[in-house]
Amino acid sequence: MVRLPYVTALTTLFSYGLLFAFGQMRDLFRKLIDWSKSKGKDLKGYAPICLGLEDFYTRRLYLRIQDCFSRPIASAPDAWIDVVERKSNDHNKTLHRTSNTTKCLNLGSYNYLGFAAADEYCTPLVIESLKKYSASTCSVRVDGGTTNLHTELEELVARFVGKPAAILFGMGYVTNSAIIPALMGKGGLIISDSLNHNSIVNGARGSGAAVRVFQHNSPSHLEEVLREQIAEGQPRTHRPWKKIIVIVEGIYSMEGELCNLPEIIAVCKKYKAYTYLDEAHSIGAVGKSGRGVCELLGVDTADVDIMMGTFTKSFGSCGGYIAASKEIIQYLKHTCPAHLYATSMSPPAVQQVISAIKVILGEDGSNRGAQKLARIRENSNFFRSELQKMGFEVLGDNDSPVMPIMLYNPAKIPAFSRECLRRNVAVVTVAFPATPLLLARARICISASHTREDLMKGLEVISKVGDLVGIKYFPVEPPKHVEQDKKTL
Amino acid sequence: MAKLYVQTVPPPDLNKNTEWFMYPGVWSTYLFILFFSWLLVLSVFGCTPGMAWTVVNLFHFAITYYFFHWKKGTPFAEDQGIYNNLTWWEQMDNGKQLTRNRKFLTVVPVVLYLIALHTTDYQHPMLFLNTLAVAILVVAKFPNMHKVRIFGING
Repeated sequence: MVRLPYVTALTTLFSYGLLFAFGQMRDLFRKLIDWSKSKGKDLKGYAPICLGLEDFYTRRLYLRIQDCFSRPIASAPDAWIDVVERKSNDHNKTLHRTSNTTKCLNLGSYNYLGFAAADEYCTPLVIESLKKYSASTCSVRVDGGTTNLHTELEELVARFVGKPAAILFGMGYVTNSAIIPALMGKGGLIISDSLNHNSIVNGARGSGAAVRVFQHNSPSHLEEVLREQIAEGQPRTHRPWKKIIVIVEGIYSMEGELCNLPEIIAVCKKYKAYTYLDEAHSIGAVGKSGRGVCELLGVDTADVDIMMGTFTKSFGSCGGYIAASKEIIQYLKHTCPAHLYATSMSPPAVQQVISAIKVILGEDGSNRGAQKLARIRENSNFFRSELQKMGFEVLGDNDSPVMPIMLYNPAKIPAFSRECLRRNVAVVTVAFPATPLLLARARICISASHTREDLMKGLEVISKVGDLVGIKYFPVEPPKHVEQDKKTL
Repeated sequence: MAKLYVQTVPPPDLNKNTEWFMYPGVWSTYLFILFFSWLLVLSVFGCTPGMAWTVVNLFHFAITYYFFHWKKGTPFAEDQGIYNNLTWWEQMDNGKQLTRNRKFLTVVPVVLYLIALHTTDYQHPMLFLNTLAVAILVVAKFPNMHKVRIFGING
């Protein structure tokens, strides 16, 4: 549930309308000028690569604020990060890198437990494994790409997540988009949350099964959709569905909300549908010992049929995994194309995950894992409550390290991003089409490596920029003790 | 001014081209744009209010016909062309007919027509042009015209 002032909704729609109108006028002029100039001789009878309509959004809206996205970095994505400056001579149509970098506070990287930079336990082991196994296995898992690091990590992941067996893949996106077609085929039904990640949408489209969407995080709507679909059966033949699977995520990366897992599992069990939980953002970051959203919400891992996760966010590596029963993993090892034809995970990356999980579990002999988990929880709750006190509209549940600050108007997106960069804070802003049209936001990701001073600096900058840009939509809570300056309504 | 807040839930519509229409404030924005364009026409041309409403009606016809019933597909390449044969009107609400949004969009040209006729006192060249505009728009929005291409134009 997002709340926004009515006037903001009107002005946002009006701004998008204005941008759209200007874009169409520019396209019209370009068509006229091109028609009078070249007469289409260059194409020589070939069809154009893209219709003018398809990339309208990219050309006329995205390119205008291109400097807020894809910023190159020049250091490890730790709490402070070096951002490369870019210059443009033609109003952001092309950007050129300069050789200057600015050190900024990093509020955009998925570095939940602080493993992204050099770690005292992990990095020496990773360098050792790089020397021993080299940077790549240069082979597919089934040929020669399974080192003993891979088998060790599979067992470790299965133990960590709480399932009998696990399988690894070299890329997180591919984990979803290659597994879902291996599990579901024609005649199956996939019911996915309306705000699921693009990898799940891609996998569902590629599988050939029928796809239905249910309203975000609402078990009642899920039940309605399930009942309707089970009663109707497959389209046109009305035969019963071969398999029904419900796909949800642990933490939704654009909202920062936790999934309503216990109720959704209860609904799925009632109608005998399989469940697939994508824990990309929640594994390692939430839960008392970092085991993800099942531990946090008290759901037995045996109730979720397939648990998926990535190593990119909390473990500072790259790759993904699927944890499920031994039979499912065995089946996937024989059928999933990402296992049979794709190169296996790089061995130093595997070693990084092994060491990171050992630190989280406390098996490296220290309690740094527990400290990190406590710190990220404290940091997230502190930051979120301070932002809400300042009057920002911040989404997300308590304990979630992802907090989107709502911007709404399209012009505030580049304004917020550039002003923050000017004050040495790097934030990530997201707009349409990754989010709904009205609901553009700046997404903050808190890390366990942020100290209290870093967070205070971040809060100060965001507050100043928020005043400049005008995104404090809610009344400010009066401060309990005297602080720097007061903000009036 | 007391701030009115509205709540919004993201609608389960996967088509990014049409889901923006399901948010609060869209209808009001549409009506405000029509009203302000009438004021703009009045101030720029300095004509009678009736002529201004006729001009607004005709521009509204041209723009909405082009964008709702002529242009097909979506401005996003990620849809991979599944909507390439459907106009915006046909993509609305996933093809369901007679929803609230569709009824609203059908009523607006008719109301605009009545206002234009009333303020011009039903005089002749404006009467014909306005009637033509509204007839084409309303017929294009009928449920029976879903995916119909007359004489294969725009097919």
